[in-house]
Amino acid sequence: MSYSKELLSILVTYILTQNFILSKFLGICPFLGVSKKLNTAVGMSAAVIFVMLIATAVTYPIYNLLVATGLQYLETIVFILVIAALVQLVEITLKKYIPSLYNALGIYLPLITTNCAVLGVVLLNIDTNGYSGTFANFGRAMMCSLGAGLGFMLAMVMFAGVRSRLESCDVPKFLKGLPITLVAASLTSLSFLGFAGIVENMFS
Amino acid sequence: MAEKKTLRQEFTKGLIKENPVLRLVLGTCPTLAVTTSVVSAVGMGASATAVLVCSNIVISLLRKVIPSKVRIPAYIVVIASFVTIVQMIVKAFLPSLNDQLGVYLPLIVVNCIILGRAEAFAGKNKVAASAVDGLGMGIGFTAALFCMGLIRETLGSGTFLSGIASINSGSGFAIPFLSQNPMLIFVLAPGGFFVFGLLMACANKLAEGKGLPKAELHGCENCPMANHCSIKDKENCESNEEEAAK
Amino acid sequence: MKKAILIPTISLFLICLVAAALLGAANAVTEEKIEQNAIATEEASRKIVMKDAVSFGEKEEDTYTFDGTTAPYSCISALDSDGNVIGYVFITESAGYGGKISTMTGIDTQGKVTGVEFLEISETVGLGMNATKQTFKDQFVGLIKGITVNKNTPGENEIKALTGATITSKATTKGVNTALAIFEEKYGKGDAVNG
Repeated sequence: MSYSKELLSILVTYILTQNFILSKFLGICPFLGVSKKLNTAVGMSAAVIFVMLIATAVTYPIYNLLVATGLQYLETIVFILVIAALVQLVEITLKKYIPSLYNALGIYLPLITTNCAVLGVVLLNIDTNGYSGTFANFGRAMMCSLGAGLGFMLAMVMFAGVRSRLESCDVPKFLKGLPITLVAASLTSLSFLGFAGIVENMFS
Repeated sequence: MAEKKTLRQEFTKGLIKENPVLRLVLGTCPTLAVTTSVVSAVGMGASATAVLVCSNIVISLLRKVIPSKVRIPAYIVVIASFVTIVQMIVKAFLPSLNDQLGVYLPLIVVNCIILGRAEAFAGKNKVAASAVDGLGMGIGFTAALFCMGLIRETLGSGTFLSGIASINSGSGFAIPFLSQNPMLIFVLAPGGFFVFGLLMACANKLAEGKGLPKAELHGCENCPMANHCSIKDKENCESNEEEAAK
Repeated sequence: MKKAILIPTISLFLICLVAAALLGAANAVTEEKIEQNAIATEEASRKIVMKDAVSFGEKEEDTYTFDGTTAPYSCISALDSDGNVIGYVFITESAGYGGKISTMTGIDTQGKVTGVEFLEISETVGLGMNATKQTFKDQFVGLIKGITVNKNTPGENEIKALTGATITSKATTKGVNTALAIFEEKYGKGDAVNG
């Protein structure tokens, strides 16, 4: 498989079959909390994509530095601090230089520090692509992050649609609210299971 | 936390009345991700409880020393350190549990229960109360995970306690009929959402009988990052309440 | 104004310092045990993938690029009771569905696989994790380089993919193929059975 084809296959796999929300259960809190309205769902996921890409680009060389100094055991603490600092930095920069973008994404940024999808993608990237730190692997890691972010957005946007339909449905009293939302999420996730075969046949 | 509560009350509130998973809807990611078997569910619960108790104690001890400006980063450092220590211990003494939990073990760092308790309780209360609060919340979390794991493992794999090496060389007790015809969907992702939804419906039904409100994402007050969040900017908060439900 | 910045910075720095020191201490205590665990699993697995071996030689570690992916590997020679080399045991890594898969492959001097074991695997329970079942691992025994995955009826030098877990099956196969490729490059005796 050529490198560019592999990158494409990583992207599609992470969007559809390894969807962060619907098959890896990362980032469930914003998925349940922010998906009520379409525009907030899009804003939140755009901010997540942005932070995921930057976080991967920054933590990847840092990890290689940690390996070189034999301090791998500090990875969790270093990564979470790097992400927290990055989020702050991005927020301040956007506020000062691109206020229009800040108004669209900025309000979601503080929520992202503790979003497990961001730390999750960074840790998974280190696990699957971290070794040897070659440039090709760095490309794979970035592609994973982009795919994970886009998959996050896809799930959020789709689910915003599902939820707006749920609002007008007559559900049993004790299922109202979160329980029926979770059951709907279960069905959405079931539909994503079906993508597995498509992606495999597309790239084999 | 205006009125004084006894230590006993601090402990028991986390078990049922303020159960972090089923009542406060916190820590949903691990609740869904690692409950494919009872052993990994309880393992995750125990690890998170250990981190929660330790970080609550330390944060409560340091509550007068940490400047409030850098409160959140300081909490994150404390929590991340304990998570790493727990991770090392699990790797060293329970390597099979480490394999089962995988990436979700370091992800305890961003479990909102822990940062949430640090911000809402340990940063404001005395050491003993914080420790007991952490223990209660941790046990409540573990109990909810155990229920999820029990249902999903029984129906999805037809086994009980698989993953303990001394029982049937790691494959657990086989449950008649179900072990030959497991409903695989229950250990897959959709089953996780489904079981969680139904458990929450049961919890709501029970809560209703006691006159307690239904479990909902509470918006700003539930979110550990609430004080740092610009959504909270006054009038915005109500209309955008659900945004902050992190 | 200066003081308002200085005090939080210093206290945060101190907390980080203490945390790092504590972690260093915890690492020093557990590191040895973690290493021992890894060595124990490795030794036990080595005996499974290369049943005829009586002892093993020196372990060599390096990196190898296979199919565009560079990953570390290790290699150790398997010896019989007279000290003759009867094969090699490789540990290779590949990216699975849930993370890294670390595969141990035993290869005899003819370039045939003698056994496959997993050292690290974290795939989906019920699907990808079925790779650890003996029936899946046994499919590799006797195969030669260039193994492919088939979803229905596996032909010559093919393995049958796990239901619903083709990614895991392919990742495992890639690990084994990497080992076979390294074997051929290093010891170059695989030509006899080529094809």
